[in-house]
Formats: sequence, C-alpha cells, structure tokens
Amino acid sequence: MDRNRLARQVALQKQSLFDQGYIDQQFIQVEELQDVSSPNFVEEIVTSYYQDTSRLIVNIEQALERRPLDFDQLDRYIYQLNGRSTSFGARKVIAEGALFREYCEAENAEGCKTTFQQLKTEYATLKRKLEAYFQLARQARLAETASRPM
Amino acid sequence: MAPTIESVYLGNGGLSEGNNKRSNRFVKATWKNNLTALVVDNVELCRVLERENLRAYGVETVAVETGEAAVELVASGSTFNLIFIDIYLPTMSGPEAVRQIRAMGVRSKIIGLTAIITEKDEQDFFAAGIDEFYEKPLDPDWFVPIIREVDNQI
Repeated sequence: MDRNRLARQVALQKQSLFDQGYIDQQFIQVEELQDVSSPNFVEEIVTSYYQDTSRLIVNIEQALERRPLDFDQLDRYIYQLNGRSTSFGARKVIAEGALFREYCEAENAEGCKTTFQQLKTEYATLKRKLEAYFQLARQARLAETASRPM
Repeated sequence: MAPTIESVYLGNGGLSEGNNKRSNRFVKATWKNNLTALVVDNVELCRVLERENLRAYGVETVAVETGEAAVELVASGSTFNLIFIDIYLPTMSGPEAVRQIRAMGVRSKIIGLTAIITEKDEQDFFAAGIDEFYEKPLDPDWFVPIIREVDNQI
C-alpha cells in the first residue's frame, strides 16, 4: 500500500476512534508529544497503561467477589483506574469508571457488577482497536521513511 | 541563559524516566524566565506525561514518585516555580507533602492534581496550602495560563 493511502487510512482510523467515542482530545495532545526521538510515544503510553492496569482489573474482579463488598476499596481501585485512563483519553473506560463510582457511593452491588462488566468490555475493545491503529501507524511511518530520497 | 531543552529517550519500548538526551524537540512556548517545575505523581504513566507536557511548553521539569522525595528535594535547596502534585500518594499524602513544603517557607505556585475532584479532597488540599486544584490530565487550556501568570510575576 502506498504511503499516501496508508497516511489517509491512519487518519481515518483515528477519526473513527474519535467518532465512536473511544478516545478524546487528550489522545491528540499525547500524540503531539511525539517527535523524532520518540516516534512511538503514544503507543508506549498505551502499552504502559495496559500493563499497569491489568492488575487493577484483576483486583477489582476479586474485590467484587468478596462478601460483604468493600465499597471504599472498590472506589479506591476505580479511582486509580480512571486516573490512568485519563492519561491518553480512554473516554468510554473513563465513563464506565465514573458510573461505577456512583454505584459505589450508593453501595449498589448489582450496579457495580453490571457496570464493571461493561467497563471490561470497553477496556478490551479499546485495546484491540488501538493495537490495530498502532500497527497501521507503524506501517505508515515505515512507508514514509522508505520513500524519502537517500 | 536559555533553558535546556531535553527530550525523553524512550529506547526499545517502555517508558523512560528521562535520561537527558538533548534533541531538537520543538518547544511550544518560550518564556521571559527560565521556569522550573516539580511533578509529584506515583503513577509512572501519569508522571511521564505530566513531565513531558510541561517540557513541551518550555518548562524544565523534574518528576518524583513520592511526597517524601518531593519534600527531600525542596529541603535540599532545590527551587521550583511550579509544583504539580497528586493528592493520593503512597505513605506521605499529597496534602501532607504540601503542608511540609509550605512549612519550609516555599512560596512556589502549587497545583494539586486528582483523577476525580471531590468536595472533601478539595477542602483538604486547599487547607494544606495548594493554590489551584485540577483534574488530570494536564491540559494546556488551564496549565499554560498558570505558567504565564508565574512567568509574569517573576
């Protein structure tokens, strides 16, 4: 695929992630921090996010199994997750996290469990979509580099 | 003397805490003064982003992980025009770190950070001595005017 077509595809894919509400303006701001010395900065931020939060997700799952539920602990966990999710604008994950917090405050166990299932879905979907996006972005950068005159 | 422009070298994957590799990084703003900032955040992901955002706007920035490290740094004589500090830090909380820093007579602009603002957190943090309180992430819409204000006051 030629570099122009690749560049267009990257732009379209990113726009689609915006339009579907998966990411917000923060993603662009992080992209703007990329430069020649750190061309994969956004991807590394996202990779770090998923490495960092995978344990949190497990902790929340385990905490939701306990009886009685410790809503303060759940609230602390989701606070941590949301703090990290804001780093690159993971909008849907943040939204589900905010809803989860409301259920924690109301001590609504069923609400917490249902919302957490939705949050995990959004978390996994975003990961999949961003992996595809970054793969395409890498191809576009390679094509761009290859096309430069020696 | 013009501020040193530093860039984060990310190496072969994984975030770096920054090893001071100079680059021709484009800086989005320049200031009358050499501005410095301290970032205090125990989440590496957030800490790196906060530092890089400030550096992108021409502020020489140091980032530490704990309230204790921030207090130690200030106690050792390091001075910063701006301090960005998360409310929830392990062992020494953000408010406690701010209390100790203010007790040393530090008059830097201190901006409290949180993932989600609550009324209680806001009260606690302001009582400790912060000047402003914002939700993360750092957004140029609010942090650039703060930097400008500090720059104009020097």
